[in-house]
Amino acid sequence: MARIDDDIHDAGSTPRAFTLVEVPLETVPADLAVVTPPASEKRRRGDVFRPGPGPMVQFQGVIKRYDGDVRGLDGVSVSIAAGEFVFLVGQSGSGKSTFIRLCIRELRATSGHVIIGGRDLGELKRSKVPYLRRAIGCVFQDFRLLPDRTASENVAYALQVTGHSRQEVNRRVPEILALVGLDGKGDRLPRELSGGEQQRVSIARALVNQPRLLIADEPTGNLDPDTSQGIMDLLTRINRTGTTVLVATHDRDTVDRMQQRVIALHKGRIVRDAEGGYNEDPGDTGEIA
Amino acid sequence: MRLGMFFREALRSIRANAAISVAATVTALIAVFILGAFIPSFMYVRSAVSAQTSKVDVDVYISDTASVKQVNALRDKIGTLKTDGQVAEFTYVSKDDALRLMRERLRDPSVLDELPSNPLPAKFNIQPTDPANANAIVAAVKDDAALDPTEGIVYPQTTADRLLTAAKFVQWAGFALIGILLVAAVLLIGNTIRLSIFARRREVEVMRLVGATNWFIRWPFMIEGVICGLVGAVVAVAMLWGIKVGVVDAWASGADTALTKTGSAGGAIAFPLLTVVLVGAGALLGAVGSGITLRRFLRI
Repeated sequence: MARIDDDIHDAGSTPRAFTLVEVPLETVPADLAVVTPPASEKRRRGDVFRPGPGPMVQFQGVIKRYDGDVRGLDGVSVSIAAGEFVFLVGQSGSGKSTFIRLCIRELRATSGHVIIGGRDLGELKRSKVPYLRRAIGCVFQDFRLLPDRTASENVAYALQVTGHSRQEVNRRVPEILALVGLDGKGDRLPRELSGGEQQRVSIARALVNQPRLLIADEPTGNLDPDTSQGIMDLLTRINRTGTTVLVATHDRDTVDRMQQRVIALHKGRIVRDAEGGYNEDPGDTGEIA
Repeated sequence: MRLGMFFREALRSIRANAAISVAATVTALIAVFILGAFIPSFMYVRSAVSAQTSKVDVDVYISDTASVKQVNALRDKIGTLKTDGQVAEFTYVSKDDALRLMRERLRDPSVLDELPSNPLPAKFNIQPTDPANANAIVAAVKDDAALDPTEGIVYPQTTADRLLTAAKFVQWAGFALIGILLVAAVLLIGNTIRLSIFARRREVEVMRLVGATNWFIRWPFMIEGVICGLVGAVVAVAMLWGIKVGVVDAWASGADTALTKTGSAGGAIAFPLLTVVLVGAGALLGAVGSGITLRRFLRI
């Protein structure tokens, strides 16, 4: 059994995911580079959940049963390499949300293994779960912003939680807001921002701790097509910096346009795993409880 | 730096949920006020009971026919008990003394003038060092020749026993009541803070999502609870002080009542100490109340 805790306590210095030096694409704006943390950044004991080599996300025969006999996932095995951009598609109830909640250990697998960054989450102590979550950025359909805090404060919160100094918070928050295209809007409250802008704040919050894995659950579910396009472009840019991006969606147009790897779930099983578009639904079109 | 941040978060939460914060503060105020009124009352009653208990004394009545020699023998016997440490003090009350005392006690002493002779026997009044010694003292003198055959020895055996039982009961009942009050206060404050947490459960959800540790989430809430508890306690202490100065002290100095006599000064708790106890209790109530309530919200 791997000693997960030992690894977490090991605070050696490795290149962070957000180093943008090798990125060859012109689409990445130059200002992205400023997000690279300084070498002097403070590391705290137990503060680091550092993914090892190998796949970023690995499911091995994962079964998740809810109370009663409701099956969230019914034997899912899949592997997502570091740096991939993957769509997770399927109807409501197909198991997309279960898949995502297993990745951040909001749920535990009934059987099988969920391995993130080389660590089996089934063996992760509960007290270490916060450190796992800091290594994963999460974006949701409903943004999950704190309504009584400005955009800046919402992003700053994720930094304060990880124990960054106020100077560092003051330095990094404007940078990351500029990166997601919210330059100058840091003082606005969420209700003063459009849906697309709120989702950008939520992405900024997910990115500010430089996660190696970004998970987005229906990030464009509440947005119009043009705004959705902007959000997907932002996620693509983030992926090009080396961050693994996993997007759960049932937005057929977006998936067809992006032509990325698509994992299709149906009734808790993987029914397709290939590059390309959304494709036809293999099963019936009714809602599955 | 972190403590400052937690403090700011707590103040932000108090401002954002002003109504709930006021409710929690008032809950703490009521709890501390009841506690603050109860503790001195309890201690007063306890000291009054123990004052009564110490007043148990033994009267040894002397026969009118007893000779001076016999009376002196009895006096020596009691004197020995005093040397042994069982008797604190004893006094001889002659027949004339007894009649005089009776005369003082009666509302209409003229009835005594009707008496052809003094019917009251002389006696030794014995104060035991401890009420529990009364039985031993009685055993030592009960067969003495000088004893009055009809009156013999009079001492409040049952009264002494009852007082001792009452003193113990008052003590334990008091502690139990204080315990119940504290538990009730913790639950009340916890319940009020639960409202605050419920109003902010989305916030807690977001905190967990971005990787906040449970203690990181807990601190601001506990500080919030402590602030509400402290403010409530300080107001309660101010109210108690007002009542003490305005009502209790005035009443106690005004009349030389039986109650103020029985309650010895040593039995009452000093007000500064009471303040410290109550303010500490308020802070603790707030912290424990919110800490317990948070447990539910921090699973997973």
